Amino acid sequence: MTRNYDGDDMIVATKVNKVYPNKCHALKDVSATIKRGEVVVIIGPSGSGKSTFLRTLNQLEVASSGDIWVDGLDMYANSTNINTLRANVGMVFQSFNLFPHKTVKGNVMLAPVKVSGRDLDDVEQEAEELLKRVGLADKMDVYPSHLSGGQQQRVAIARALAMKPDVMLFDEPTSALDPEMVGEVLDVMKDLAAEGMTMVVVTHEMGFAREVADRVLFMEDGELLVGDTPEYIFDTPKHPRLQQFLSKIL
Amino acid sequence: MLRNSNRWLWHSIFAAILAVLAFAVYQSSQKINYNWQWERITPFLIDTSPKEIRASDSGTVEINADNSITINFDYGDEPQQIINYDERLVEDGDLLFEGDLVARSEQWTMGPLVVGLWVTIEISLISLFFAIILGLITGLMRVSHNPVTKNFAYLYVEVIRGTPLLVQIFIVYFFFGTILDLDRFAAGIVALSVFTGAYIAEIIRSGIQSIPPGQMEAARSLGMSYPKAMLYVILPQAFKRTLPPMAGQLITLIKDSSLVSVISITDLTKAGREVISGSFATFEVWFVVAGLYLLLTTILSWGVQRIEKRLATSD
Repeated sequence: MTRNYDGDDMIVATKVNKVYPNKCHALKDVSATIKRGEVVVIIGPSGSGKSTFLRTLNQLEVASSGDIWVDGLDMYANSTNINTLRANVGMVFQSFNLFPHKTVKGNVMLAPVKVSGRDLDDVEQEAEELLKRVGLADKMDVYPSHLSGGQQQRVAIARALAMKPDVMLFDEPTSALDPEMVGEVLDVMKDLAAEGMTMVVVTHEMGFAREVADRVLFMEDGELLVGDTPEYIFDTPKHPRLQQFLSKIL
Repeated sequence: MLRNSNRWLWHSIFAAILAVLAFAVYQSSQKINYNWQWERITPFLIDTSPKEIRASDSGTVEINADNSITINFDYGDEPQQIINYDERLVEDGDLLFEGDLVARSEQWTMGPLVVGLWVTIEISLISLFFAIILGLITGLMRVSHNPVTKNFAYLYVEVIRGTPLLVQIFIVYFFFGTILDLDRFAAGIVALSVFTGAYIAEIIRSGIQSIPPGQMEAARSLGMSYPKAMLYVILPQAFKRTLPPMAGQLITLIKDSSLVSVISITDLTKAGREVISGSFATFEVWFVVAGLYLLLTTILSWGVQRIEKRLATSD
């Protein structure tokens, strides 16, 4: 199928629906395009489907209908190997999901070695550089259980980056953190955005959205209601439900 | 100091109660005029009596330079070589008939109980090996999303867990043994492996399901295939959690292996029965047999505890 695919588009989602077996309609015709190098923040009340939508972008949730293209690959085409696609899409979870049986360095190295089959020494060197980048040079050989939440989340970011993805998905990366640790994680994300990484971020950190996002998507009840610049969203919201949402949280 | 001595007081009370119980057992056996003969047990554990070596056919003795004995038979059969012995009873050139005493050996040999213990260990280890493979495959089938594999695993586990091991041993030995021409040893191993495999499958399934789903998601989101995610992320964690129930299952396996004596495998239990029919030391033999099983299981649980400690480093 040749569609209006543009080399500038990193992710194209068209009319994505998600209906759970219990008939819960979590996504309703959600369409969005994320350009290369763009930082898109998805906001909305709890249960609005923003995490579900994010998880459809690397098929952790299988969309009930609709098309998703990632870096020119049609996710639901038979010829597409989902593992190849996922290797190109980094994901950071709310609950970190670090591998507890591996050291910090082992967490970062596992996928490049086992998935890409790369040389151990190269991968180790890169892992060390990545961990330095997220400020954890002194924690490489400890196990995740000995780290604070903020440190664990930074390891998780380094782990996702180790696969050299073209796009990064963040699923409420700071929601499980103590307030004093939110900043260190957001700083790493800001650096990443500044380096030109394509990012899709589900978050409740409106400050981050306003400062870093190129575009903000507002979702409610499984629908994508507004998608525009942070200035428009936060300063001159027109949509009544967006106004209502912002009045509650700001 | 005071607290310490208090502790010892309780320990000695424990020892005293044990002693009273032992005395009670002894007294009650006296009442039924049982004559304890512990010394008769030793030869069934380690046989120290001299072994007689006899000529297996008629022939001529030849003493070699290294003192070994060769008997050249009259009818050109392969000569009999006797290398290890302690006392020689023949001279060079002696003529021998079949069954003549040639030499004596003082070498100790394993008594029937130790041989039986060894068979029990052998059966348990081989069964354990196959049971783990079977259990792992079935456990993975149980957590898969394909109804075919899932239902087969479910059926297997339910059928095996719902029928007695003794009956399974009979079915394997008499039915499958006849169809597939299995000897009793193989039949015993098949029955024990299949039985234990069902329990191990459940242990592995619950171990895998106890790992938070986020682990699988994280592994898959990094581009790992399902098998790779299982192998490198889920199973190593699940293995650690399944170690305690697995150890319990192993100990159960060793104990359950006593049931294969019903198909005439001379394991520790069968050896015990045979020894009793030769010695009439019923009480002593069963106590020794129980002690040997206990020794085996104790060593095992100690070993597993050590592995658990070593694996605890990442917690």
